[in-house]
Amino acid sequence: MSKPHYDREHHVKKATGIGDPQCFKGEAGEARFKVGDRVRIKDLPDLFYTRTQTYTRGAEATVHEVVYESPPAEDESWDNTENVEWFYSLVFSMKELWPNYPDAFSSDTVETEIPEHYLEAC
Amino acid sequence: MSDEKEHLHPPAAMVDEVSEFEVLEIAVRELAIEKGLFTQEDHNQWTDYMHTLGPAPAARLVAKAWLDPEYKKLCVEDGVKASLDVNIDWVNTMPTKFGTPSDYCNLRVMEDTPTLKHVVVCTLCSCYPRPILGQSPEWYRTPNYRRRIVRWPRQVLAEFGLQLPEDVEIRVVDSNQKSRMIVLPVRPEGTEGWTEDQLAEIVTRDCLIGVAVPKPGVTNNAKRPVRKAINPYKH
Repeated sequence: MSKPHYDREHHVKKATGIGDPQCFKGEAGEARFKVGDRVRIKDLPDLFYTRTQTYTRGAEATVHEVVYESPPAEDESWDNTENVEWFYSLVFSMKELWPNYPDAFSSDTVETEIPEHYLEAC
Repeated sequence: MSDEKEHLHPPAAMVDEVSEFEVLEIAVRELAIEKGLFTQEDHNQWTDYMHTLGPAPAARLVAKAWLDPEYKKLCVEDGVKASLDVNIDWVNTMPTKFGTPSDYCNLRVMEDTPTLKHVVVCTLCSCYPRPILGQSPEWYRTPNYRRRIVRWPRQVLAEFGLQLPEDVEIRVVDSNQKSRMIVLPVRPEGTEGWTEDQLAEIVTRDCLIGVAVPKPGVTNNAKRPVRKAINPYKH
């Protein structure tokens, strides 16, 4: 049996001199959400790796900025760069994440970035 | 020859003790070199690069942004492009020329206003804009800071000596994907007519993470309390 060949340098070849995530620019197509949209974070199952925090799951947020295109970390951690998608910077109200957060500071927020496949309109 | 006679005592050890993690790092590094994944020269180049980094370019960026509204706009729109003016090329100064899995090339400059205060954390690990800010402080990497700042930001900021009124929105920025963030604080009162050098001096690392605000006369990070371990490890 011949030894399998893995191209361990495909990312280096693609990103050198351009940068990551810049090297994925233009690969995600049209963004599904725009600034100001309300979205909910889906509680998707993740095998082994995710960068969507548990505290954001099921919570609603507002799209603050459409930031860049990239494969999601869940795929990229397994060297799969096929599914490039848009990333959104979302703003959550603290009250939404932690229901007993003090009312006096109800304007406080958390901002974090989530890839598109975790989001649904609400 | 004469030099040798003057130094009869053995040279002092570089470090008093080596932690288990350092032993692990050395073992993995040596295996990787043996396997040909990278060379000792590559490793030297990276360590040299890492040691040149510090918060000075980010402080300079903030000072420039305070003085030049056009540049401030550019910082907020495209942090990577704005970094070029303070001699940080996110793509090309790193030895890899494309960023690394821990330092991707997307800098976001989070602009504070009188009613909005940003503070940066990485709850999942300890992502930090190292090319422009250097190595993260020890407390930034601790689970203590990472867990509590998203849940009780006001209490944690108070521990850093920063108490903000109710009408100021605190926005905790959780750096969880490929963006790295620095905070562009509000220019403090009492700095009218200052030069860029003077302004850059008061923008400390803590101000750039967001756990402090710049004040005229304050050019150092506040000292963090060191609590002794309850069950210290006996060597």
